[in-house]
Amino acid sequence: MGSFGNAQQLKKTMMKILKKILGIFMIISVLGIAYVWFFVYNKPHRNFDKAKPDVILSAQSFYNNYAKKIKSCNGKVVQINGIPKKIETNDSLAVVVFVFDQGMFGDEGVRCTMLPKYRNSAENLDLSKTVTIKGFCAGYNGTDVILEQCSIIK
Amino acid sequence: MKRLSVLMSLIILLAFNAFGQRYLTKTGHIYFYSKTPFETIEAHNRQVNCALDVKSGMFVFKVLMRSFIFEKALMQEHFNEDYVESDKFPNATFIGKIDNVKEIAFNKAGTYNAKVSGTLTIHGVSRTVHENGTFIVSDKGIAAQSKFLIKLSEYNIDIPEIVAREIANEFNIFVDVDLKSLKK
Repeated sequence: MGSFGNAQQLKKTMMKILKKILGIFMIISVLGIAYVWFFVYNKPHRNFDKAKPDVILSAQSFYNNYAKKIKSCNGKVVQINGIPKKIETNDSLAVVVFVFDQGMFGDEGVRCTMLPKYRNSAENLDLSKTVTIKGFCAGYNGTDVILEQCSIIK
Repeated sequence: MKRLSVLMSLIILLAFNAFGQRYLTKTGHIYFYSKTPFETIEAHNRQVNCALDVKSGMFVFKVLMRSFIFEKALMQEHFNEDYVESDKFPNATFIGKIDNVKEIAFNKAGTYNAKVSGTLTIHGVSRTVHENGTFIVSDKGIAAQSKFLIKLSEYNIDIPEIVAREIANEFNIFVDVDLKSLKK
């Protein structure tokens, strides 16, 4: 009878430990799934507005480097300065355009697609003054170097 | 195929130079969409270059792959690094012509159905394609729209087996460009 009681007691203790282990395992699993869901699968886009530039140079040298295939900055955060020639806008975007060449399809240079929050400041830029713009480099399309998600630094 | 593509480019460039009735945009919009029960993928590119010569009906599209913006950052990363390999193949191009250009009056406002054919190059693979499109001519310029389907496997874009259920092999491509007369 005594040994039967001990066995029952042991079984109960084992069950308690098993439940605790299962509980901890479930909590870790839920936290792990939540982490993957929020920080891997749905991780936010990089905040290019606050990103530190990988490369800082003038718009002219940035264009020359690309057009002559000297240097590639694809995917890097680039900060350029220069005097823009025009601002192109439509319903969905504003593009600040630096022009350094003329090709078969018109102006060629650096085209900066602005983040929505900089649309108004881009539209009001003084086209006779130097502006500093930062964005991520999408590459060269044969006529222009494209910067995306751009912000105005000054 | 690469030689053919270079030859086509040269013919197009010569045609553009010879006739000079060019319409152009650098803010064209192309987006793609695919849906499986597990995943919907959509990405937009609003910096598409397109030029059209209305006399010859020849036209060219140039699309920078890194300019496709996805809702999910992870998808964008995988798209550029694993699938289309944007560093190795930074641009997609379409070089072609309007087959029924004589039926389109580019100097008269209206909506015209077009049959287009040409060479589509994605991920370094060039294929001849025949698609339908619409041209809308107005006093503001020429708007061109098209919708067509591409199979990723035809452009050597491999989907790993582990995510094959989540990513469709067929993608709908939507093209929407507003072309303006090029004034030099």
